[in-house]
Amino acid sequence: MSSLSTAVRRTTLYGILAAGALLSVAPYLLTLNGALKRPADLLSTDAWIPAHPATFANFTAVWNQYGMSSFLLHTLSVAVLVTIGQVVFSALAAYALARMEFPGRDWLFWGYLATMMVPQMITLVPLFLMMRELGLVDTYAGLILPTLFGTPYGVFLVRQHFRTIPHDLEAAARIDGANTWTILVRIMLPLSRPILATLAIITFVNTWNNLIWPLIITNSDRTRVITVGISALQGEHVSDLPHIVLAGAALALLPLIAVFLLFQRHIVRSIALTGLK
Amino acid sequence: MIDNISPTKTFPGGDGSRRHPAESPPSSTAGHRRGRGRIRATLEAYLLLAPSLAGLLMFLVAPIVGVVVISFFDWNLMGTPRFVGLANYREMMGDSEVWRAMRNTVYYVLLNIPAQTVLALLLALAMNRKLRGLKVLRVLFVLPWMAMPVALGIVWSWAFDPQRGVVNQFLALFGVDGPAWLSSTGWAMPVLASVNIWQYTGYTMLFLLAGLQAIPESLYEAADLDGAGTVQRFFRITLPLLRPSMFFVLVTNTIGSFQMFDTVYVMTQGGPGGSTDTMNYHIYQQAFQLFRTGYASALAMLLFAVILLVTAVQLLYFRKRTIYDFS
Amino acid sequence: MSASSRRVLAATATSALLLCLTTACGSSGSDTSSGGTVTLRYAIWDAVQEPALQKSVAVFEKQHPKIKVKIELNAWAQYWSKLQTQMAGRTAPDVFWDHVAYFPQFSQQNVLADLTPYIKADKLDTSIYDPKLLTGWQQDGKQYGLPKDWDTIAQVYNKTMLEKAGLTQDELGGLSWNTTDGGSFVKALQKLTVDDNGKHPNEPGFDSKHVKQYGLALGSANGQTDWWDAAVQNGCKLQDKAWGKWTINQPSCVKAIQFVQDLRLKYHVAVPASVTNTPNGASLPQVMARKQAAVVWDGSWDLNAYQSSMKGNFGVAELPSGPAGKGTVYNGLSNALYAGSKHPKEAWELVKWLGSQESQKIIVSQGSVWPGIPTLNKDYVAVWQKRGVDVSAFSKEAEGTTVGYPLTTSSATYNVKVQDAFNQVWLGQQSPKAAADSVNEESNAAIK
Repeated sequence: MSSLSTAVRRTTLYGILAAGALLSVAPYLLTLNGALKRPADLLSTDAWIPAHPATFANFTAVWNQYGMSSFLLHTLSVAVLVTIGQVVFSALAAYALARMEFPGRDWLFWGYLATMMVPQMITLVPLFLMMRELGLVDTYAGLILPTLFGTPYGVFLVRQHFRTIPHDLEAAARIDGANTWTILVRIMLPLSRPILATLAIITFVNTWNNLIWPLIITNSDRTRVITVGISALQGEHVSDLPHIVLAGAALALLPLIAVFLLFQRHIVRSIALTGLK
Repeated sequence: MIDNISPTKTFPGGDGSRRHPAESPPSSTAGHRRGRGRIRATLEAYLLLAPSLAGLLMFLVAPIVGVVVISFFDWNLMGTPRFVGLANYREMMGDSEVWRAMRNTVYYVLLNIPAQTVLALLLALAMNRKLRGLKVLRVLFVLPWMAMPVALGIVWSWAFDPQRGVVNQFLALFGVDGPAWLSSTGWAMPVLASVNIWQYTGYTMLFLLAGLQAIPESLYEAADLDGAGTVQRFFRITLPLLRPSMFFVLVTNTIGSFQMFDTVYVMTQGGPGGSTDTMNYHIYQQAFQLFRTGYASALAMLLFAVILLVTAVQLLYFRKRTIYDFS
Repeated sequence: MSASSRRVLAATATSALLLCLTTACGSSGSDTSSGGTVTLRYAIWDAVQEPALQKSVAVFEKQHPKIKVKIELNAWAQYWSKLQTQMAGRTAPDVFWDHVAYFPQFSQQNVLADLTPYIKADKLDTSIYDPKLLTGWQQDGKQYGLPKDWDTIAQVYNKTMLEKAGLTQDELGGLSWNTTDGGSFVKALQKLTVDDNGKHPNEPGFDSKHVKQYGLALGSANGQTDWWDAAVQNGCKLQDKAWGKWTINQPSCVKAIQFVQDLRLKYHVAVPASVTNTPNGASLPQVMARKQAAVVWDGSWDLNAYQSSMKGNFGVAELPSGPAGKGTVYNGLSNALYAGSKHPKEAWELVKWLGSQESQKIIVSQGSVWPGIPTLNKDYVAVWQKRGVDVSAFSKEAEGTTVGYPLTTSSATYNVKVQDAFNQVWLGQQSPKAAADSVNEESNAAIK
């Protein structure tokens, strides 16, 4: 194979990949670009024409006038709480399922696996009714509780990882008199940082972007999260607000991107790990 | 930049050779097997499991029981529920809109999963080379995964606008008169599928890339000695050893695709002509727009059954051909 | 710290969290009434009207220092689904915009508070309201809301474009259409429609695929601002009688729907449905802001949206007349009090305020909507006159032939079914007859 054809092939590969990468970020760029346009320009210019002159007025409006600041705060608190809950409770359950022997363990594990296939839509109506009877409609508790204690997916993920940690470490600690809790906290968890980080990231992103449950369970601005806040601004009678929607969209997208770019090294690696377990 | 994804470094057992369950009995409690020790271990285990199990029972198992019960009633969530026996199921069987929604859902999954998997695999193969700049590109490819469908809905709708959308403007450069994408019964669903493919291809690629990097280089070297070509290497070594990753990706993506909701909700609301009315959207509409809660519950049971069936088929297929460490 | 004490701590923390989430923290979101201050929730669906409402509410809060009002905005497409979910969850807003279309269903579900005792106790003079509006919110001698406004549909046009085509406001308002050749209405729209090469639809070589400017843009999720008006102008009745059956598949209705479809697909004088169809299409004010059309059929509630993008360069003309003469949809909203409100007294104060002369004067002064109190109509006209827009077409239409929203318990079903079916009609994917038949049948089947 001549070096010339290698160079050609390499250039082609780079070209295709670069085009793909551009496609990946284009919708983000279009959102940000649109959010920076003045309302009149937004309607009269094509989407790809750069915002000129750029304005922050849309962001100010969406932040102050349309309550996005509090929606973002609600979203953040919910996402953080759910993430903490899921990581902690999934790790506890996963340890029991991975490393302890007790009656009913295998049975339980298969139960967890089976519930992974339950569509969210199926639980929606009963969950709503349950929250209504508990008086938790339109409360943070109602928003958070269903996913706080971990998902079967999370338990499965962490359990698969725990099983790859050598037993010797644990056995040695037992001989030194360590109890289950110490082993979990001192040995298993420190060795599982990547997988716990993965679970945290996946949970955070999913909770941040979740639409359907908040759509049903929240109904006032007191609990409204950003997905519901943005969708409420789309449709007949509010449709002359595209600049507001775009600014809101940019505000909803940017924090995740920031988190991602900050931790991309760990995120990319640890997400990939989950597929191997 | 990003470290090479090499789970083998950190994780014994991540190398594709799975430990069989029989070979690795949990030994942690070995010394406490008898008497009080055993009871204590059991107690401890259930204590650790308690929050997760409570959550599971209350927010997943109980609702499933609930939805079965509700499916035998006629109820709008407000008045008194009226027991109707199997009437909801009977109506479902004869409801052409339900079967259209089911066809749409399957169509969406078929548009989505093969294309996304193949693209992700090609991307992973490209990314698996030792070339400069790939790590930066990899980060960019994963960015769409985090995109909030509701936030991007407006941008997508504009991108596919027949006259002023960037898609048709781009096509016009090549003299192609693009269709009115979201108003076309033929195109609307492929558009929704491409939005999803855009979102998840990079994410899927990560899993496959990790799988690729876990394949020992020595296998390829051996193949090279046997004079195997690129194509042979791919089909004889890469693909078979990638099966565990493929299995994971296919099963989770398929379950996810069956539940697509956000994109339909913001972009088409099931139209035009019901061509993007998926099961999940149809159930939502029956439950929370028309408040036919009992009927919606029956539909939810149908969707659940189909997902179970499809997952079971996938399990059986892969079980014959792979050694995925489940237990 | 020993391992066991740490475990105790962890367990305590967990149970505290649980306890907090299920009890105390659960109440963090419920109705706040700290220090005797009550916060009322007020649900609306129109962003264009929000600024004016905020002004009115600010005055109310000043007069009632112990009551705060939070306006909650949900787009029309989600408003009703949301409101009904809220009612099912027993957490609906204290006060909300009610619509005639949903009034029968809500009164059947007992979710609206009867205002009669409050009216009596406060000796409220309800004779200030237009009787037509007031009685619309009555049933069995009970009052379920106070009139907020009224609206009709008219033709909003771009002044520059109309002048260029040599048409005046009076001419535009005096046009007529028929189902054979489209009449003078279609002829005028042909003048207003120009393709990229400057050709009109009635000229040879007109390129219907590349149109620079359309004569007309139509758009409506349920028919109010497009085919319902044409239907009235063709003598069609949407319903056989109040609380009766839908009759939108009668020949006179189907012919009107056919005409509206023809405007797009046969005469090529109206913006294609792919641009205007809900949910992904552009709204009428957006179409006008983009200069894609010269004329739109729209309700008075959107005037402020046109003002913000066209700054007085628009006018309002009456709708054309059809085979059966002139006609439009007449409608009005009310402010309703949620029967499950935890603060009914305060909520009533708000409903009373929103229905008062003072509040409606504020709304009118912003040019927001026509008031529920007829004596203020002239003030509304004056506000728009100052902005250079003659809005009398709306009131002239209100005095002529009008049709109200069908009174039925199946509006939810109708609204869900009609959108997709009629989107297809405008796209040419379904015949008017087939769409009308299916929507009619399904809506009637859902009547309770």
